[in-house]
Amino acid sequence: MKRRDFLRLSAAAGLAGGFGVADIQRALAADGLDLYMLSAFSGPFAANGKFGEMGGRLAVKSLSPSMGRSVAYHTIDTQGNTGTAVRKIQEAINQKQGRLFLGGALSSEALAVSREIEHAGGVYITYVGADEITGSACNRATFRWAVPTYGAIRQTVAPVADMLPKAKRWYTITPQYVFGEGLLNNAKEVFREKGIEHVGNSYHSLQDKEFSGYLTNAAASNADVLLILNFSQQSIDTLRQAVSFGLKRKMKIVVAWSAGLDQFATLGPDICEDVFFGVQYWHGHDAPANRAFVALNREVNRATPTYFTAADFAVTSMMLDAVRRANTTDPKRVAQTLESMKWAGITGDEEMRAFDHQVSKNYFLMRGKAKAKMRDADDFAEVVSFGKSFPSQGQSQCKLA
Amino acid sequence: MGIYLFQIINGIGLGMIYFLVAVGLSITLGLLGFVNFAHGMFYLLGAYLTFQIVSWGGSFWAAAVAAPLVVAVLAFTLERAILVRTYKLPHKYQIVATLGIVLIAQEAVVMLWGPLGNGVSVPDSLAGVVSLGNFQYPLYRVFVVAVAAVLAIALWLLLERTTFGALVRAGSESSEMVKLLGVDVRTLTSLTFALGGMIAAVAGVLIAPIRGADPSMSGEALGIAFVVVIIGGMGSFTGSIVAGILVGVVQSVMSTLWSEGAQLMVYVVMTLVLIAAPRGILGRA
Repeated sequence: MKRRDFLRLSAAAGLAGGFGVADIQRALAADGLDLYMLSAFSGPFAANGKFGEMGGRLAVKSLSPSMGRSVAYHTIDTQGNTGTAVRKIQEAINQKQGRLFLGGALSSEALAVSREIEHAGGVYITYVGADEITGSACNRATFRWAVPTYGAIRQTVAPVADMLPKAKRWYTITPQYVFGEGLLNNAKEVFREKGIEHVGNSYHSLQDKEFSGYLTNAAASNADVLLILNFSQQSIDTLRQAVSFGLKRKMKIVVAWSAGLDQFATLGPDICEDVFFGVQYWHGHDAPANRAFVALNREVNRATPTYFTAADFAVTSMMLDAVRRANTTDPKRVAQTLESMKWAGITGDEEMRAFDHQVSKNYFLMRGKAKAKMRDADDFAEVVSFGKSFPSQGQSQCKLA
Repeated sequence: MGIYLFQIINGIGLGMIYFLVAVGLSITLGLLGFVNFAHGMFYLLGAYLTFQIVSWGGSFWAAAVAAPLVVAVLAFTLERAILVRTYKLPHKYQIVATLGIVLIAQEAVVMLWGPLGNGVSVPDSLAGVVSLGNFQYPLYRVFVVAVAAVLAIALWLLLERTTFGALVRAGSESSEMVKLLGVDVRTLTSLTFALGGMIAAVAGVLIAPIRGADPSMSGEALGIAFVVVIIGGMGSFTGSIVAGILVGVVQSVMSTLWSEGAQLMVYVVMTLVLIAAPRGILGRA
């Protein structure tokens, strides 16, 4: 009789004696690896989950043969709701003994579940935007792949300012919550360094869908550049309305935090043309790991990878690599391994910063292409520049050490 | 032109869009007394059908005719098959039924068209901007305002100056009395519901080139529609126009005065109206 069969029979017959059900479940999974990917699979953020899962499963498919153990990939639908996310993570921790978690549709979700996972002694790799994840709210269990607001601004505003030395008047549109404030504060710092006049800012709520009033403020300011600091559907709405109000003809437009390909496809080349975008990932970036990933995704998923496909591929690959290197699924040792990891990633060379659990990776400045210049259906933009910018250990608000 | 004057003009344009989104709800809520949380779904389908027809190579104008008609048939069928069963039940059953329908529709949209938003181009003949001093206003928005104005007049004539309108209004007061006159009240109710759905679809068609079509837009439409109907008064078309413009102007002007509070002020206005005139500005007693 195999060990698994014996344990199953023991549990069923109540012969487990002093073992609790949790111990039996853990024993059953001892030679396997269970990954839990949380994202929104329903509701307004359902795109995140759908495309994220494609990337996560692709990573499992490509890396599990080298793991020496079976890998089970589970998804958790948070519905884009922090309360739901916390409840489902608690269920996964308490009832399924889940310890290795990935993803996160929204910053608020990720911040909340990271505390639960840390409390349970697990490991969590995410890619959300809120700087607190690897800043003031950092913890031993949580790691982040995405570049923080500091790097996003440094790699977009600074190079655009250098490219357009006469554009000295900038106007900003900012969502009024912690992520937007992070982008705005970093932008103001770059403005000061570059001698740029910040001629105005319009704050808006996270519920806003209509931006014409704020765009009118931007038009009235006679700015040279409009810097859009919101994200997701709001940046799509803002940019679409900015173009319809003729702002693209009056000033340059920069979207500092874009989702990349899926946003470009939603907007179309007419709107994207000549607009600058900051992106975490671009499928056309020339890196060996990225070429392999794009080819694999096109073969398996029959699509060019979007941001969420890439991000989930990246964090799932990181987790699997850490388990393989540590040769254990013990969360503490997996976390220790992650802290010192370097690897060839899909954005180029990537490495973990041990002092704040932030991955050091490239951020890309793109410029939208004219429709006539697109080489294929996904060739919406060209890479203008890319690089790595992160707050130093002294600047970091994370106090792990 | 000063920025505040332009913001008022922009607000009026915005208000007419809000009127379009809300007037269908005003009909179902005000005249039928039905709490229709599925209103946003008709708006959503209007936008998605437009996207689909344009994607197939059809023109925007073909979509503008076809999408509202398809949605009207759907609304008629929905009312006959499901919603009629909730009329005599408390409002909470109507809310649950229509909310359930919205959730099914929203997930169906995700399955059919994917979870990402889709853009719809402005028709070539309406591309470009109108210059107003230092400012520019999209020509397409001027067109939407004009359509909203024409639709408002047509609706007013339909409901205030035709036999159909008289019967709908009478039916909302006393359906038994109208039945005694030999009128098929059931069909009348279904047609009125279909009319509300069709107007919501018209709003969806017209909004598609402004903000695209995405699965979350039904909830957004419902939110602003309820605000406009509450401020304007249930069942009042004039009230919907006044409220739509009021909301649009407040939001637009506040974008300059206090941008972070622009959205909040819309709800402050609604609260003030509720305190001063609980039935809305032009609501029926």
